Amino acid sequence: MTYATTVIIGAGQAGLAMSYELTALGIDHVILERGNIANSWRKDRWDSLRLLTPNWQTRMPGGAYTGPDANGFSHKDDFAMRLQSYADMHSLPVHTGIEVQSVTLGPFGYRVHTNTGHFDCRHVVVASGACARPAVPKLADCLPRNLPSFTTFDYKRPSDLPDGGVLVVGGSATGLQLARELQRSGRQVVLSVGEHVRVPRRYRGRDISWWLDTTGLMDRGYREVDDLARVRRTPSLQLAAGHETLDLNALQAEGVQVVGRLSAIRDRHALFSGALRNHCDLGDLKLGRLLDHFDNWAAKHGSERDLPRAQRPVPTQLPDAPRLTLDLSSGEVSSVLWATGYRTDHSFLNLPVFDRRGRLEHDGGIVTAAPGVYVMGLPFMRRRKSTFIDGVGADARDLAKDMTMQLSGAIAA
Amino acid sequence: MTPTGATPEMGGFETRGWLTRAVRKITRGVITDTPINPNEDISMNEQTPIAIDNGVNVEALLGARQAISQMPAAGQFTWRATCKWQTGVHSRSTVEGFFGLGEEQDRGASFTIDADHPAQFAAGNAGATPLEIALSALASCLTAGVASVAQNRGIQLNKATSRVEGDMDLAGVLGVDGGARNGFNDVRVEFDIDADATDAEIAALVAQSQKRSAVFDIITNPTNVSVSVA
Repeated sequence: MTYATTVIIGAGQAGLAMSYELTALGIDHVILERGNIANSWRKDRWDSLRLLTPNWQTRMPGGAYTGPDANGFSHKDDFAMRLQSYADMHSLPVHTGIEVQSVTLGPFGYRVHTNTGHFDCRHVVVASGACARPAVPKLADCLPRNLPSFTTFDYKRPSDLPDGGVLVVGGSATGLQLARELQRSGRQVVLSVGEHVRVPRRYRGRDISWWLDTTGLMDRGYREVDDLARVRRTPSLQLAAGHETLDLNALQAEGVQVVGRLSAIRDRHALFSGALRNHCDLGDLKLGRLLDHFDNWAAKHGSERDLPRAQRPVPTQLPDAPRLTLDLSSGEVSSVLWATGYRTDHSFLNLPVFDRRGRLEHDGGIVTAAPGVYVMGLPFMRRRKSTFIDGVGADARDLAKDMTMQLSGAIAA
Repeated sequence: MTPTGATPEMGGFETRGWLTRAVRKITRGVITDTPINPNEDISMNEQTPIAIDNGVNVEALLGARQAISQMPAAGQFTWRATCKWQTGVHSRSTVEGFFGLGEEQDRGASFTIDADHPAQFAAGNAGATPLEIALSALASCLTAGVASVAQNRGIQLNKATSRVEGDMDLAGVLGVDGGARNGFNDVRVEFDIDADATDAEIAALVAQSQKRSAVFDIITNPTNVSVSVA
């Protein structure tokens, strides 16, 4: 039996940031990691992936970017190496190759069962990631059996797919990036798009990350929004690393065929929603409001001179009659790629902490049904940037503070 | 970045009266066993100052939304119509009760809708064609959504009219051309809206009403339909 006050599950940016905070507070802890540090970045993403945020915004607590390319976008493997160096530099207590099998109640609070034994602890920090598994819709079961399909966890590079056309399902960052990569590999891509969040990569001479950060949107707290459940469900921004905008207009200019949300597969035909125009209108309107917000901010803060006026992006262009069907047995596409989002995997928590849909219930990362259990890295968990590398520091600080209050309460009692 | 999105998921039917009562009934624990704080009236929503009036009871809709999120079974509705052949291609549909909020509901009225075809189809012209009724249903659903979203966003609506058109190739239904579709090839709705709002806000009303319209959904997405003989 091993005891630590706190057990952190997962050594990605969230787990490491929490470890940094606990180290600073002198709270003894361990980080349990099933693979190596930054395992998901190394193993569960596609080869070409680079961070969506510029290097200057990779601000881990006690580990800001100091390299030569502050406005560049790091490759995922380089970022993984930086996390490794971060853990080494701060001597964070990472135990690699330890797979957590379950978390139960234990003599001091909780017991974390692993493939190599168990840890008893007062606090558990679940930092296993918001993107632990690909989320694939149920209708995937209706695909013709002889049509190969891939998730974003299977897919590493275009050559993984058979030659020929490919249906990419998903209109957020992942779907758009992979549609572009596959189209450029010589495959005809049909991209199925539902509701999406369109943003320009740059506006008025600045990167979108600068705008979101500077105008305070990234710091917006979870108690400050009207409809938290809806905000937490909002899909990721349509973005790719680099200085160019990746949106449906850009993809169509490269030859990608855009179709509506995949609403059914019937008689070996994929059926697409006729609501594509409205989904694009919603995205364009939301984009307009975002840019209005930036313009208002610029006017209010007297930065008009530093921020040259820029054209608004043109509305999303679509064919007059986007296609509604695709015969999946015609050979037009020879594979399907599901870029339909990610989900958490908290199934190892053998505690009564889930809502009726099986989602972990928490209040800003504090799992109220199990005092001492915390979660990190979920969408809009404590603030908009909670899922961003730049957001884990502030969340870790808040949650670590809650932990110290718990500990001092325990001593006082 | 994400302004309040009104969600009149239940847009398209009369919202005064029974819905308010039904929501109160749910929230008082008749259907759910969720304990209710008697001092808390969930049908009031503090973030919606109602200084304008489009005739939509948004508090009731928001109350229903909250009640149904606590008690999903109450949100399962079944709508019905009965239809009786008159003569020729004339038929008359009647709508009365429906199921929802956990039990049979009585709207205290019945409505009839006649469908026929015009003389150009050698028919009796006793009503609109079913296609026109479908277009009317779409326009009505979107209009209800526009009014509800406007109310929720504090926008006074002065006028909302729409013109809806659907194109079809008669070769489909007549079996002339196996490649022609029976139904619409294209549907267009054009709104003319006068409201105390900017053009962008009006565009957002119309977009949001599509996003939350039941009829827009069943026209734009496939639905399983089974037809049997009793």
